[in-house]
Amino acid sequence: MRDTIVIGAGLAGLMGALALAEAGRRPLVLATGYGTTHWGNGTIDVWGQPTTGGPRAAVAAVIASDPDHPYARTGVVGLEAACARFRQVMQAAAYPFVGDLLSDIVIPTALGGFRRAALVPRTMSAGALKAGDRVLIAGFRQLRDFFPPLMAQNLRSQGIAARGVYVELPPVSRSLDFTTRTLAQYFDDDAFRAHVGAQLAHLRGDASHIGLPAVLGMRQPLEVIAELERHSGAQIFEVATLPPSVPGMRIAGILERAIVAAGGRIQIGSAVLRGVAADDRLTDVVSEAAAREQHHRVTRCLLASGGIAGGGVRTDQTGAVWETALGLPLAAPAARRTWFASRSLDPRGHAIFRAGVLSDDRLRPLDQRGHVVYRNVTVAGGALAGADTMRERSRSGVALATGWAAGSRLATVEA
Amino acid sequence: MPATDFIELSLDHCIKCNICTAACPVSAVTDLFPGPKYVGPQAQRFRRDGEAPPDDTVDYCSGCRVCNEVCPTGVKIMEINTRAKARIVESRGVPLRSWLLGYQYIIGRLACGPLAGVANLFANLRWVRVLAEQLTGIAREAPLPSFSGYSFRSWARRRQQHAATGRPKVVYFHGCATNYYEPRVGEAAVAVLEHNGFEVIVPEQGCCGLPLLSNGIFSHGRHHHQYNVAQLYPYAAQGIPIVGTSTSCTLTLKEEAPELLAMHDEQTRVVAEHTYDIFEFLRLLHERGRLNTRFRRIKRRLPYHAPCQQRAHRIGRPALDILELVPGLTMVESDAACCGLAGSYGYKVEKYRIAMDVGADLFDFMRSSGSDLAVCDSEICRWQIDHGSEVYSVHPIELLREAYGLAADA
Repeated sequence: MRDTIVIGAGLAGLMGALALAEAGRRPLVLATGYGTTHWGNGTIDVWGQPTTGGPRAAVAAVIASDPDHPYARTGVVGLEAACARFRQVMQAAAYPFVGDLLSDIVIPTALGGFRRAALVPRTMSAGALKAGDRVLIAGFRQLRDFFPPLMAQNLRSQGIAARGVYVELPPVSRSLDFTTRTLAQYFDDDAFRAHVGAQLAHLRGDASHIGLPAVLGMRQPLEVIAELERHSGAQIFEVATLPPSVPGMRIAGILERAIVAAGGRIQIGSAVLRGVAADDRLTDVVSEAAAREQHHRVTRCLLASGGIAGGGVRTDQTGAVWETALGLPLAAPAARRTWFASRSLDPRGHAIFRAGVLSDDRLRPLDQRGHVVYRNVTVAGGALAGADTMRERSRSGVALATGWAAGSRLATVEA
Repeated sequence: MPATDFIELSLDHCIKCNICTAACPVSAVTDLFPGPKYVGPQAQRFRRDGEAPPDDTVDYCSGCRVCNEVCPTGVKIMEINTRAKARIVESRGVPLRSWLLGYQYIIGRLACGPLAGVANLFANLRWVRVLAEQLTGIAREAPLPSFSGYSFRSWARRRQQHAATGRPKVVYFHGCATNYYEPRVGEAAVAVLEHNGFEVIVPEQGCCGLPLLSNGIFSHGRHHHQYNVAQLYPYAAQGIPIVGTSTSCTLTLKEEAPELLAMHDEQTRVVAEHTYDIFEFLRLLHERGRLNTRFRRIKRRLPYHAPCQQRAHRIGRPALDILELVPGLTMVESDAACCGLAGSYGYKVEKYRIAMDVGADLFDFMRSSGSDLAVCDSEICRWQIDHGSEVYSVHPIELLREAYGLAADA
């Protein structure tokens, strides 16, 4: 039936599936659960380390100095193509992103620190503060883990005029428990946001910008922003929260709908257990199901099941490191004692976090001798070896670039 | 409970990411249910044998399994919750309403047949529903299906006399809803299977027991499952597939009963491994090149909802895979999480409103489709779709029979 399989529903898997669907390959996405989109911050972070020339130049420098980095497999051109398609899809869903890869966008975290991103949703872009901006951080007492006074205090300590206030929750049917998702649902409601808008107008004072937790609507966040700006007269921006990430859920939802509209299908809750191969071709993928395993005949397969954090690479106390879905050979530190540097915040990072699947220039998996393992498989995202994306702050950039490239290249594989 | 029980062990895989909380359709509409993470892997650490249950909010879990579906680390949240409900029932006794909902098939057995007309009239009288609500707590507005004037089994008995022999055999598990309310679904299943060259056997069978399990009456659920295993094992042992049209019955045979009740004996396992959703079975036939694909053109665009109980099989969308083969037919899938009714959940007076709020996205999807016909694999969901959106819905097997050009009363 569907013989193009994508393993993993994070950003890499969804972008790969989109490329395959748009190429007419009708992909089936199999994933254990929702992907890391729901944990992430909802921005595309191409390179978060301090650089001078912006994300594009940073990636060019990485490729020049480290030929085994995943970015070396896509090139700057591949990264640009992925970002362009991503922006088009988001734009078409009325969730536009800004950023041009030529300069970093520097926005505040929920703790009031600053971080670099390459692409940010329009809902966050006003958070790129300039000298002289006066900021009001507003939140809800009901939302755990978002503390406006703390965030404002940390902004002030970096020389930014900031105040932190709490907004009274408008009348709602709920009284006990609030998550980012429930608040985002409330912001989809006209009366709720009008109520918040009126309070912001009252609380604004001399603020030019108002930052709110990233819960400003699940469906039409730009409309929410526009209405809050109309009420308050200040520029509104969202600040990424702890999971579950509303901006991440928006991205996942938009990509899922685009994949389905282009003929793909998403099957969440189906962990891939193993693959079956004949010589250098993968022939079957086996997924977990009630009472029996489900067998999928495979013409082409994209592995985007993540690294250690995403569950695609596992380790144990004996020092074993393995790839969970297809059992591909991994590049990983040989012995457990070499996994970690002696200091936890060592600037060089920890060797184990670079563990993953080696790939050729078409993103096909390689064994230790450098031979292609399966000609009809490509690999993307955290499953790839050669990047410590948490330290580089490149997780979503690597996922986007390699996901799109691996999907596009896989689409050309014939039966 | 054995020390290696993997439902229990799975809670250690919870990384507290709250993806389940963000996907839960019940906690989205009410805070009477604080969400799967809290009542599941978190509260479970405070549940100890012989101690009072720490928290009753788990009673508001509808058992839809969306949490299991989306969990990135494989925690068996819904099973943890259902077992917790059973502990509450164990410590406090079974309320009358749970007996009624758990044993609703007895009412079906009594009312289906010549008395169906009168029974339907009576069951839909407003004062009867109000009285029933007062006495039992079954919501007066909740959608009751209509009793059928004949049972599926009586239809099957009449037909089996002239069934062809010498063909490959398949067992049909019809479930209570097909038997007492919607024999048309079973008739369509038999027609499609026979059209594909099978001899369809309808052995003795009872309620799958899911209504008892989801109301926490585990001991009775176990008896029902043992009975069905005893009836079905002789077929399964010969390698004869057991095919069902009720996605919740087949899920119970495959997994729910064995896992919740920790029934890991050989016969239970063999029955589970031979049980198929009917479209899963048809898809396997197609993959082996054995499905008859001579379909008539059906020039329609129809909305489809994959019910929670179907998604919990973790087999994708076999109904869509097969219906996509029908020329002219376009199926549009909803992305609504749940219809809300979730078995017997939405029949409970304190949960009726929650169930309707949960289903709101699905009702909107069905209404805005502009279609006068919807397609859904689960009978419970179909009743809720009819009730909430007033779009009439059929089982996909009925649509497939139409695509084969088989008459309704073959």
